[in-house]
Amino acid sequence: MIISAPFRENNPRLRAIGTIIAGGLFLLLGALWRVQVMRGQHYDNKQDAQSLRRIRIPAARGEIVDRNGVVLANNRPSYDIAIYLDQMGVPKKGNVVAIAQANLGILGSELGLQNKLADRDIKLHYQKRRPLPMPVWHDLPPEQVAAFSERTNNLPGPDLIVMPVRQYPLGPLAAHLIGYVGKADADDDDDDIEKFSYYQPDSVGRQGVEKACDEYLRGSPGGRTIRVNPAGTIKDDLGEKQAERGGRVTLTIDVRLQRILEKALGEAPPTAGKQLSGAAVLLDARTGEVLALASVPSFDPNIFSPGTPGQMIEAVMNNPASPMLNRTIGARYPPGSTFKPITLLAGLESGVISPQDTVTCPGFFTIGNHTFRCWNHSGHGRVDAETAIRESCDVWFYERGLKTGVDNITKVAAEFGLGQPTGFDLGSEGRGLVPSAAWKRTQRGEKWWDGDTVQLSIGQSFLLVTPMQMACVAATFANRGTCLRPYVVKRIESSDGQVVHEGQPDVRMHLSAKPQQIEFVRQAMLGAVENGTARPAAVKGLSVAGKTGTAQYDTIVDGKTQRLERAWFIGFAPYDQPQFAISVLIEAAKEGSHTAAAVASKVFAQAFGKTTEDSRPAEVIYAD
Amino acid sequence: MPIKRYVETIKRMDWVLFGAMAALAVGSVFFIYSASYSASGPAAAHHGRLPIYQMQMMWFGVGLLVYLAVALVDYRLICQWATVWYVIALGLLALVLVAGVKVYGARRWLGLGSFGIQPAEIAKLATLVAISYYLFHRTLEARRQLSTVWVALVVAGAPLVLIMLEPDLGSALVLLPICFGLLFVAGARVKHLALMIALGLVLAPFAWLHMKDYQRDRLTVFLHPNKDPGGVGWNLTQSLISVGSGGWSGKGYLQGTQNLLGYLPSTVAPNDFLFSVIAEEKGFVGSLGVVGLYAVILFSGLRIAANARDRLGMLLATGVVVMLFFHIFINVGMTIGLMPVTGLPLPLLSYGGSFVLASMTALGLLQNIWIHRRIY
Repeated sequence: MIISAPFRENNPRLRAIGTIIAGGLFLLLGALWRVQVMRGQHYDNKQDAQSLRRIRIPAARGEIVDRNGVVLANNRPSYDIAIYLDQMGVPKKGNVVAIAQANLGILGSELGLQNKLADRDIKLHYQKRRPLPMPVWHDLPPEQVAAFSERTNNLPGPDLIVMPVRQYPLGPLAAHLIGYVGKADADDDDDDIEKFSYYQPDSVGRQGVEKACDEYLRGSPGGRTIRVNPAGTIKDDLGEKQAERGGRVTLTIDVRLQRILEKALGEAPPTAGKQLSGAAVLLDARTGEVLALASVPSFDPNIFSPGTPGQMIEAVMNNPASPMLNRTIGARYPPGSTFKPITLLAGLESGVISPQDTVTCPGFFTIGNHTFRCWNHSGHGRVDAETAIRESCDVWFYERGLKTGVDNITKVAAEFGLGQPTGFDLGSEGRGLVPSAAWKRTQRGEKWWDGDTVQLSIGQSFLLVTPMQMACVAATFANRGTCLRPYVVKRIESSDGQVVHEGQPDVRMHLSAKPQQIEFVRQAMLGAVENGTARPAAVKGLSVAGKTGTAQYDTIVDGKTQRLERAWFIGFAPYDQPQFAISVLIEAAKEGSHTAAAVASKVFAQAFGKTTEDSRPAEVIYAD
Repeated sequence: MPIKRYVETIKRMDWVLFGAMAALAVGSVFFIYSASYSASGPAAAHHGRLPIYQMQMMWFGVGLLVYLAVALVDYRLICQWATVWYVIALGLLALVLVAGVKVYGARRWLGLGSFGIQPAEIAKLATLVAISYYLFHRTLEARRQLSTVWVALVVAGAPLVLIMLEPDLGSALVLLPICFGLLFVAGARVKHLALMIALGLVLAPFAWLHMKDYQRDRLTVFLHPNKDPGGVGWNLTQSLISVGSGGWSGKGYLQGTQNLLGYLPSTVAPNDFLFSVIAEEKGFVGSLGVVGLYAVILFSGLRIAANARDRLGMLLATGVVVMLFFHIFINVGMTIGLMPVTGLPLPLLSYGGSFVLASMTALGLLQNIWIHRRIY
């Protein structure tokens, strides 16, 4: 062994190594200080960003009730079986889809349910919405829920979840008014979609009050924060912000009156071989509140709940009779003779017509070489203004209307709110059309002929109105000249009971005619029901005023032209202290305007607890 | 009688160094438990083996025996067999290339019953001893010659090439600082060493061309950590988030979200990235503790080198210190993106039998030199 060479303890190279090591350790500490202390928050945020997920929890939708608190729309629990794809214990590189399908197949055969999930959807759910349950079977009956709880196999994944489902306890009653809901598309409210990693959409109103009051009914969503691992499986629940239930909407509707109106309209006889279609609106003439609103054919909004077979919804959507169409505001018709009271009032106001004016009706009226017929081809003889309304004499209106002139007539029509939306709070209403010389020139490129004025006088020509607008006309006559905005939302309360909206009577405008002129027209309308063309609207013990209308139109059925009669009635009751104003429209009525007037009669009679008075004369007349 | 003598001898060891080592060993077991603890509870034993924190305890037990044995036998006696150790190490390195167990595409393990050993760990120590012994024999004049540098580099180069072939780039490169460190304290001319480094840099592009793809990826990730955070950069990105989100005082023991949720993959958390787990759960305070304990070990080692009875002891102690420092610096640096991801474990902390035994052998050697120092 070689003896050790002398060794210098104070070795500068050893010290150099010591310095390098000290420097290296301080470099590490400096870098750690920077990462952990100076930028710690940055990395903490980064960690949250990669592992925290926010799940949106939709709020329970608010109730819709009638004016007396009868529930029209609320929520019921739906018992669904869903599968948690992240809890199936899929091994690494295992086939999630195959395992899910196998587990569901076993479960389904035990419960007697068929699994209809597509492989593609399972894969998509696993990729995009892993921590959320994937619904498999909706709305199970209690027996199957029990069978699931007592199932013998305990494969991981499937679980029972309770989902709120919108329900309409009264079925199709007031369906067009209440509307229905659908699942919101993500972009229906993309304002907060960014805040959530997993978006569970709200139900969103698609029609009617559900749509118009959607923002109040929806409530505000809650959120649940979870921590997930890199595979997206929930590892930790960091708490939940409760969703806030939607507000309660009270409507001006009275379920009792709604039932009466729907029944009366539904019983109206259509033309042979035609399906009944029509609309009716019942207003409180003093306030503009909509008491009942009906449109036939109708639909049951409950079919839009999840779990309904798609064909059922498609059958309703594609029905040629358009049951989804709310004909009270969404369809436009010529008003026909129900417009005559407006023509009369325009004549009186402009001073062209005096109540005593008489015209001899030979059954027709001629301008130049054009002849316009009265509905009564044999003529009414000598007719005064009051008789003209009572008997609905066309010739009187041809003659006097022409004198009154298009400008005076349209001015008064506008005062009744025709040609513009009524401002009904459901929205999406047609504005109708009140033609004028200027309109015809710009829209049609034609001159306004006297013939046009003649036609306008009896509610034809280019005139178009909605049943809601005509109900407003009836209400304006009823309350002696105040045009009110019709409304259906009486009150909205937030979930904590605070009133956030209160429906108030809203005066749109006043008629400029003198009170005695309005009174004269009202009286004439009373006469029409008491002993005129509107007699089928009469009710024993109740003074009803009104005006009928019929418009004949041709449609082609099976290659053959068929002449149909669109029947109208507008009216109000009681005559002295009017409460109700009504408009009824039937697209193809069996007995013309009688059919429409009879509907109103039934409604008034039942609303006031009277019996209908069948004052119709024995012979069938096609009165107008 | 000899037992009593051994006890007397052991009592003369550096207790501060031993204390720091023991503290790190205890920390190792605790944090390996944490690293293998998942959100669903402690990791279950699998494949009929013990949980890894118990395995690590066992390795420390075996390591302690090796430590005491190495500390007791005079290092001069051990070094007389330097050539034999070196040849055995080369033999094992050659064997692992032929008969090694392939894990993740590399042959680094020699199966030994149900355990595996990594010949690279043995080779590090054997090469350290061999170069020290060689330099110890050269006169001062000879040590200042370029030829000595060349010989030392060849002694280091043979195992380096074999380890590179496994491939295990990190372990192979450890041999270079050991070699240069030894040459430097042995009195080699700085000019010569600088020349060699310059030569190495010139040759580096050729090394790049011969690297495996994953090795290149690791280096490019180090240069561009955000290039592919979902792929190769995942470990680095997640480690940075772990360390950084630990903040000043950490999230608490067993509360490291990164590790619990598996963002820091459970395959690397107990070994290469154990420091990230500690830093997340104990924060900067914990990092300071770890670096502090290492500082105690490294500077105790340098003190032992300075007080060694002869140049051989000084060289051995310096070699051990340089080897440990290199591991520490690369590993901790790697967890915060300061150094490339090389897969070098952290001495005494990282999980792994071979490296625990190698580290404890190296520390036993330090105690040996201290025990046999010249006392004035």
